[in-house]
Amino acid sequence: MKRFLLALATMAVLTGCKNEKQETTAASEKSGEVNVYTHRHYAADQELFKQFEEKTGIKVNVINANADELIQKMKIEGEHSPADVLITVDAGRLTRAKDQELLQTIDSEILDNTIASHLKDPDNQWFGLTKRARIVAYAPERVDSTQLSTYEDLATEKWEDRILIRSSENIYNQSLLASIIAHSGEAAAKEWAEGMVESMARAPKGNDRDQVKAVVAGEGDIAIVNTYYIGNLLNSENPEEVKAGESVKIFFPNQEGRGTHINVSGAGVARNAPNKENAIKFIEFLVSKEAQEVFANSNYEYPVNEEVEPAQLLQSWGEFKEDRLNLSELGEHNKEAVLIFDEAGWK
Amino acid sequence: MLEIHSLSKSYDKGKSFALKNVSFNLNEGDVCALVGESGSGKTTLVRLIAGLETPDAGNIVLNGEMFSSLHNFVPPEKRKVGLVFQEYALFPHMTLFKNVLYGISRQKNKKIRAQEVLDLVGLGEMKERYPHQLSGGQQQRVALARALAPNPSLLILDEPFSNLDAMLRAQLRNEIFEIVKKTGVTAIFVTHDTQDALAVADEILILQKGELIQKDEAANLYIKPNSIYVASLFGNTIHLSQELQSAFKCPLNPKCSHAIRHENFAINEECEHVTHARVIKRTFLGNKTQLLLKLDSGQNLAVFTKDGNVADRIKIGFNSTDVLEFNN
Amino acid sequence: MKRDSNKWALLTVAILVFIALPVVTIGIELFSGPGETWGHIVDNLLPDYLWNSLFLILACGILVLLFGVSTAWLVARFEFPLRKQLEWLLILPLAIPGYIVAYAYAGIFDYGGSFQLLLEAAGLEFVRIDIMNKFGLAFVLGISLFPYVYVSSRAFFINQANSLLEASEMLGVGQFKTFFRLMLPMARPAIVAGLILVLMEVLNDYGAAKYYGVNTFTVGIFRSWFALEEPETAVYLSALLIVIVFTLILLEKFQRRKVQFNSNRSNNRSIDRKKPGRRQQVLIFIAVLIPVLLGFIFPLSQLIFWAVLTFDKVFDASFLALSLQSFWIACLTAFVTVVMAITLIYFSKWSRLGFIKNIAKLGVLGYAIPGAVIAIGIMIPMISIDKWLISFFDRFFNMDVGLLITGTVVALIYAYVVRFLAVAYNPIESTSLKVSNTIPDSSRILGVGNISTFFKIEFPLIRTGIASAFILVFIDALKELPLTLILKPFHVNTLAVKAYEYASDEMVMEAAIPSLFIIVTVMLPVIFLNRMLIK
Repeated sequence: MKRFLLALATMAVLTGCKNEKQETTAASEKSGEVNVYTHRHYAADQELFKQFEEKTGIKVNVINANADELIQKMKIEGEHSPADVLITVDAGRLTRAKDQELLQTIDSEILDNTIASHLKDPDNQWFGLTKRARIVAYAPERVDSTQLSTYEDLATEKWEDRILIRSSENIYNQSLLASIIAHSGEAAAKEWAEGMVESMARAPKGNDRDQVKAVVAGEGDIAIVNTYYIGNLLNSENPEEVKAGESVKIFFPNQEGRGTHINVSGAGVARNAPNKENAIKFIEFLVSKEAQEVFANSNYEYPVNEEVEPAQLLQSWGEFKEDRLNLSELGEHNKEAVLIFDEAGWK
Repeated sequence: MLEIHSLSKSYDKGKSFALKNVSFNLNEGDVCALVGESGSGKTTLVRLIAGLETPDAGNIVLNGEMFSSLHNFVPPEKRKVGLVFQEYALFPHMTLFKNVLYGISRQKNKKIRAQEVLDLVGLGEMKERYPHQLSGGQQQRVALARALAPNPSLLILDEPFSNLDAMLRAQLRNEIFEIVKKTGVTAIFVTHDTQDALAVADEILILQKGELIQKDEAANLYIKPNSIYVASLFGNTIHLSQELQSAFKCPLNPKCSHAIRHENFAINEECEHVTHARVIKRTFLGNKTQLLLKLDSGQNLAVFTKDGNVADRIKIGFNSTDVLEFNN
Repeated sequence: MKRDSNKWALLTVAILVFIALPVVTIGIELFSGPGETWGHIVDNLLPDYLWNSLFLILACGILVLLFGVSTAWLVARFEFPLRKQLEWLLILPLAIPGYIVAYAYAGIFDYGGSFQLLLEAAGLEFVRIDIMNKFGLAFVLGISLFPYVYVSSRAFFINQANSLLEASEMLGVGQFKTFFRLMLPMARPAIVAGLILVLMEVLNDYGAAKYYGVNTFTVGIFRSWFALEEPETAVYLSALLIVIVFTLILLEKFQRRKVQFNSNRSNNRSIDRKKPGRRQQVLIFIAVLIPVLLGFIFPLSQLIFWAVLTFDKVFDASFLALSLQSFWIACLTAFVTVVMAITLIYFSKWSRLGFIKNIAKLGVLGYAIPGAVIAIGIMIPMISIDKWLISFFDRFFNMDVGLLITGTVVALIYAYVVRFLAVAYNPIESTSLKVSNTIPDSSRILGVGNISTFFKIEFPLIRTGIASAFILVFIDALKELPLTLILKPFHVNTLAVKAYEYASDEMVMEAAIPSLFIIVTVMLPVIFLNRMLIK
């Protein structure tokens, strides 16, 4: 009996310890910390966090997870949340966090001056860190670039059974549709989604890289992907992926009209942030010239700081006109987008 | 010393009883046998006394302490009852010595005591062996030593000889009886074999279908069984029906039923009640021969005889002192 | 005390309530109605969820029966080259989580994947095989889960079948006929037991279905909770899934009642394997090798290839720390689950009440409930307990304690225990049944109480059962994905989650190293377990 109780007690202590440890990091108000909830898990980010620690002496505690889960967790934790900064890979999720009153308005001259107004929240609750464009990658031997024009054009009969695009589960597709809702209204958006389903060469599956590979394999002629995935393919450890990246050409849609759909990876300060000052410093650092250069050169994203040049590869694709829709609209129309996808039968 | 009052136990909420209204007493130092067929409730009674089951009614008092009643239940570990199971139930991962030490680990001179009981059962030399290295008889003796080690107030041996072959059985029976007698412990032997019971016990309890039907000294049970069932437990008996009574010209009290043991029939000898019969079949059984007889009055009768070499036509009879009489 | 048994009965019921809490929660939540998108889901998605899940049950079921039963029969009955090695290699597909097999196969048949390179090397024209659909998913799940059926039916063929087989052979019945007419019906309970485990795993899968773009119930639960932000709707989907699962279980129970065999008496004689002719031996060898190649060697090779490419990028000190964390969580889970299983088995036994022993078996039903559902069922009550704790400490101690349970290891391990209790319960129960009751009874009569008797006598005697329970739970916890994704605390990460994160971030190649770590960590105890069980 004694041994049995002892075992139970040991267990309780073990688990108890774990809690306590978490408690101290969670509820601590030490000035030297900033707790970051982030959806980005790139090596470059780790590098930047380290630089920030060295420069300011503020320790960065990182928690990695999917943005949806991070938001759910912040919601559940409520006023007891240890989160200071939320970083996501798209504007839609940031807007959702804002709508659920998880973020707070930040008054920062640096952020105001650095970031273009359409790349941040109108109420200054979140700020873009890096830009990515959702573009067309096509097989030059089967598609003449003069045939390409707009996203809307891709949903016409001309492209039946020729387009490769991933599932509607994906946030980048949801945001693309949200931008169309914002520009042309729900009815047109639904019509577009239905047209796209007709244009698809196969049922949506796999990730953005897979779409490009499928173009190279000849399953379709056009893939709709984010810019940095092309960069990642070209820089892959796998020679076959490099070959795939080299076989496609890039086209920026809607250049004549509103511009190519872009999205940002961005950050906001949590409503109940225990280390608010550090959080602001942290975001200001991330948009600084030195940090933006790291972003630009490691993951083929476009910097939000205009003083910083994009990576060589991106420059080689030339300048493009970007859709200047305020990105907070992406979040506002996100749920409608999800529902329209389901109704259109876009898996 | 041990008092059992109206003990009952049912495993199916009273539809049938494994044990029904059993009462008896045992005195200090008594060695008794509990006899019954399988399913008669022997094991249930043993488990109730040991505290492995809870009774539905009645109570058990050992040395004046109430063990089991509706308001009080002493768990088995507090009862000081020793129990040797049919399958010995030695702890397979412990040596003999550790097995014996197990129940006395809190006593002062536990090692001396363990050695003592192992010596008592004649296995002191083998104490470092494991149970699986022993023969069945040796395991039985270890189980006995283990049960005796804590000096139980009451020792119960559940079917102690049933797993042994005939030769070993008689030998071990005597050995164990000697050991039990030597320690002077109050003991209950549980057995379905009346030979075993007669060999070891001063007193025998007979259980049938959960009820205690007779409790008496061994010799009395043989001479004065109180039912045909008890009589038949101690040797083959023949029910003396009205027809047989008239065949042997032996009218008996019609309000009672009567029986006679096979061995009390006499062939070709003078006795009180005789008749003639024809042998229709002989079956040689080694030390005896079974004769199937056709009596002149027409009934069939099977008897045993040491000498099967009798003529086909015989005289058969018995004395009235050998007739067993039972009240209906 | 009037009866000492009552205390144990109460404790048994208390444990059962603890285990049943998540399911009860979901039942209660159903009364608050579904979320506003429920109608939308019913119109647009539900038929898809239903159809895909049923398709997977059927297709995977056929596949695992084909692979599992045939290999079990061949290794149990025939002698052929490398039989001993193949016998345990056939278990190893269990070491690779299904979603990781899915990534590997996507890579193999990808553009520029190993399959294409192989064809090119052989000078053949490239035929693209598309595996990322529901047929591919059924294949991938089937090939990684068939060992459940293999293990249970092999045990039957080896232990139970010998005398029956001899009888059949004496009657001059051929091998094929013996197999189909005699062995298959006899082995059915064993086969079905393995099959049920497979189907539970199929319904539980999230990673593979998500990656292959197949909308199953579990995918739907994630979608409605996280993308649509409606936990209420997720609860409704969960309830539907539970209905499907219980229908499966009831069907199996019903079937079993119709077919009752008394073949409990195990036969300890080792089986005499037949040695067929040379050509037949080669055929059998190939037949057994194919599932090993498909379920283990091919995906493993692909992962090793990727791991070599990405080693520098992924492997660092923090990765080792992550592996260690994963390892400890799995160990702690295994420990707690085994303790729970033991207490449930022995408390109910000590209660000496028949109906308590029967209801104790209900504790194992958690395995039938998909991880995502358990996660929801645990989240909801945990949060309310946390809120209560917060206000309690605030009022009486004026302390801000924060969330004590939600989002900590406690909630995660609680969920694991609910889900994996059956995994620990079954081996411990079956070994404990082999210990005669008279042994603990003897101990008690010798003056030792229930609990001490357990530690001194029963524990040493059932330790192989406990060890295999521990290892099985450890493996399952290490591989577990959907439940971990929802409940894991932020400062905690597991190898499974890491692999999933890489893959969902379009870094499938980078997922190879955490996957290999899982495989190696799982393989060692699997080999150990096999040794122990075969011995």
